Amino acid sequence: MSVQSPPAQAQAPAPAAGAAPGRFDRALAALRYTPGQLRGVLAVLAALILGAGVTGMTAIIAKSAVIEETTGQSGRLSVAALQLYQALSQADAAATSSYLTAGTPSDEMNETYREALRDATVALATAAGEVKTADDAQLVAELNARLPVYTGLVESARTFNRLGEPVGATYQEQASTLMREEMLPSAHDLQDNALGQLNESRSDAQAFPWAAAVLAVAALGTLVWAQLWLSRKTNRVFNLGLVGATGLLVLFAGWLAFASLASAGHTDRSHEEGAGPLELLAQAEITAQQARAEESLMLIARGEDADALARYEAHFTELTEDGGLLDRLDEAFAGDAGMSAKVDTAREAADTWRAGHDDVIKLAQEGQYTDAVAMAVGEDDTSLWASFRTLNTALTEATDVSADRFVEATSDAQRSLSGAAAGLAALSLAALIGAAVGIQMRVAEYYA
Amino acid sequence: MIRHQIRLAAAAAACLVLAACSGPTSMEPPSVDVPTPLPSGIDFDPDVETAAPEECNALASYAPGAVTAEQARAQLDDDGRISIGISQSTNLMGYRDPETNALAGFDIDIATAIAEKLLGEGADIRWVPMTSSERVPSLDEDRVDMIVRTMTMTCDRWTEVEFSAEYYHAGQRLLVPKASGITGLADLTAEDLVCTGHGSTSVRTIAEQAESEMVTVPDYNDCLVLLQQGTVDAIAIDDTILAGMAVQDPTLHVVGEAFSDEPYGIAMQLGNTDLARFVNGALEDVIAEGTWQQAYDEWLEGPLAVEAAPPSPQYRD
Repeated sequence: MSVQSPPAQAQAPAPAAGAAPGRFDRALAALRYTPGQLRGVLAVLAALILGAGVTGMTAIIAKSAVIEETTGQSGRLSVAALQLYQALSQADAAATSSYLTAGTPSDEMNETYREALRDATVALATAAGEVKTADDAQLVAELNARLPVYTGLVESARTFNRLGEPVGATYQEQASTLMREEMLPSAHDLQDNALGQLNESRSDAQAFPWAAAVLAVAALGTLVWAQLWLSRKTNRVFNLGLVGATGLLVLFAGWLAFASLASAGHTDRSHEEGAGPLELLAQAEITAQQARAEESLMLIARGEDADALARYEAHFTELTEDGGLLDRLDEAFAGDAGMSAKVDTAREAADTWRAGHDDVIKLAQEGQYTDAVAMAVGEDDTSLWASFRTLNTALTEATDVSADRFVEATSDAQRSLSGAAAGLAALSLAALIGAAVGIQMRVAEYYA
Repeated sequence: MIRHQIRLAAAAAACLVLAACSGPTSMEPPSVDVPTPLPSGIDFDPDVETAAPEECNALASYAPGAVTAEQARAQLDDDGRISIGISQSTNLMGYRDPETNALAGFDIDIATAIAEKLLGEGADIRWVPMTSSERVPSLDEDRVDMIVRTMTMTCDRWTEVEFSAEYYHAGQRLLVPKASGITGLADLTAEDLVCTGHGSTSVRTIAEQAESEMVTVPDYNDCLVLLQQGTVDAIAIDDTILAGMAVQDPTLHVVGEAFSDEPYGIAMQLGNTDLARFVNGALEDVIAEGTWQQAYDEWLEGPLAVEAAPPSPQYRD
């Protein structure tokens, strides 16, 4: 290492300060003597340490804000969109089932329908408060405009049904058509958009703060070099200020790396154990609910809606086929006994439901309509309603667990960042002071 | 120099932080169309088919002759049990009572009476609900022995099935709100939208005889909902079906003269003339015994507000 400081490095801060040509010449001249060189080294160190401090701090603050957003705005929008989609399909499954009970639905069915509607309206209100794009606002507005029309049709259907007028069935079919062809697709789009925004936030939150890390390493390198240079020049082994600054900078770099990696790990976990399975579970639940609605519609239409059966098949296949939603859930929960058990329960219920469904179709096609309806919506444990309820409950329980895990992981990610911004700022500031004091002490010796 | 840098860095940091948490930009309020619920598969621009000239006497069936009940029973798919294709969604003709889920209607009464002639009192009947498009295939595939489901006898259909003699003479009419003042086809204007089922012959009739626009739906029950919602102004379909709609809504009534002939026949598998002959004999008995009149009076006389006599059978041999 040369005794003379490399001119390129020492010169760097001078133009950055935007000095006038006269001052620049004078600074250049000063660099020929040791005090000037010392000041030059200090300027480079100051720039690097400050740069690392500021970029590190802002990166952590930005990360924190992004994680805040996953639990906050886009997180809330995703959850609301998911709940809305689920609640709407749940409402339709309950409305169609309860229509089949000939005007006297059980308290449980009534309760399910009313709860689903409450959940849907609350989710819609939440989503309305969280949307950030014009597209999402449009979807929320469309859903909001259609929901009262849907409930109006359902109530007309119920009233006509109670009065013994067959036209009630047509009202119920129209309500389900509105739900199937307009509302559920809108809710699905909203959910897609929200999850897209959430994933974007996630990759932002996982990004490593390279700029801050590079600056910190450069500052460390310069510090080490400066100490070697000073010890040759002054024959003193240690300069306390610079040693202190080095230690502080090592701490700084360590903290930065640890906080970033830990929060990225937690964010990853929030996706692996939370958002990912959550999305799959919701999809499975919604698919089951839509299959249930189609099954009831087939009976409501009294054989006039052959498409309903095909739509049931499509939903059911999506749920249970090889590589279908239940298989993907099994995969997601591999090695997690508690959750796997819930998926197994759901699968068993789906199989029972399927077998019962085929019997119901056979009964209906052979004209034993009353028996078919009794089996589809009856209260006893062998009814399709009971199987569907078991399936739905298992999936809902798994959803709750996944939602908890998501919240836990995001708050872990948040916690691993706590104090990092202030700490990094304090460390870099202290390192800066250490370096300044250490070098200033040497400069002072020349004027003593 | 250092102070200057700190200020610069602080400003840069402040910008970054602000950018990270800037509020939502102001958005235009979304514009949403008024939601109008429509049945799936509705067609606002149905094709108008040209009329195929009738080249036969669609009313002429096979004379009863000397086919015994035993010979006819031998024609059934299942011994001692008859499968009858019906509608369970056509109010007053064949439908499920929403309260009891039991089948009822004019077609059901006629079918029951015929089945009892064939199999005796308390006949074992398997009711097979089907849509109108399933009628011919279900006979071909031996899923049912006969079909009593508002099925119009046409020369085209005679090539696919055997018909009994005419058991009811229906005709297409209009169902309109009482307040509309419409009394027949002539009152329909270009502003009026008339609803009927996919593939109904009334699309052509209305196009020829009235100025109004047509809309068709896969299941004609949707027409009633559309009329109640004000989406359409009238329904043009068989008067038997209109009667079933009118009784569900006191603000609607059936108006005008029938503008088509819809002779209903009982359909059986092509070639099964023995069963057809027996059914024709049974039908004559059902009419003579007054069962037909009883069924008409119970289901259709009130809503159609006309007295009717059973059609007289025509035979080809």
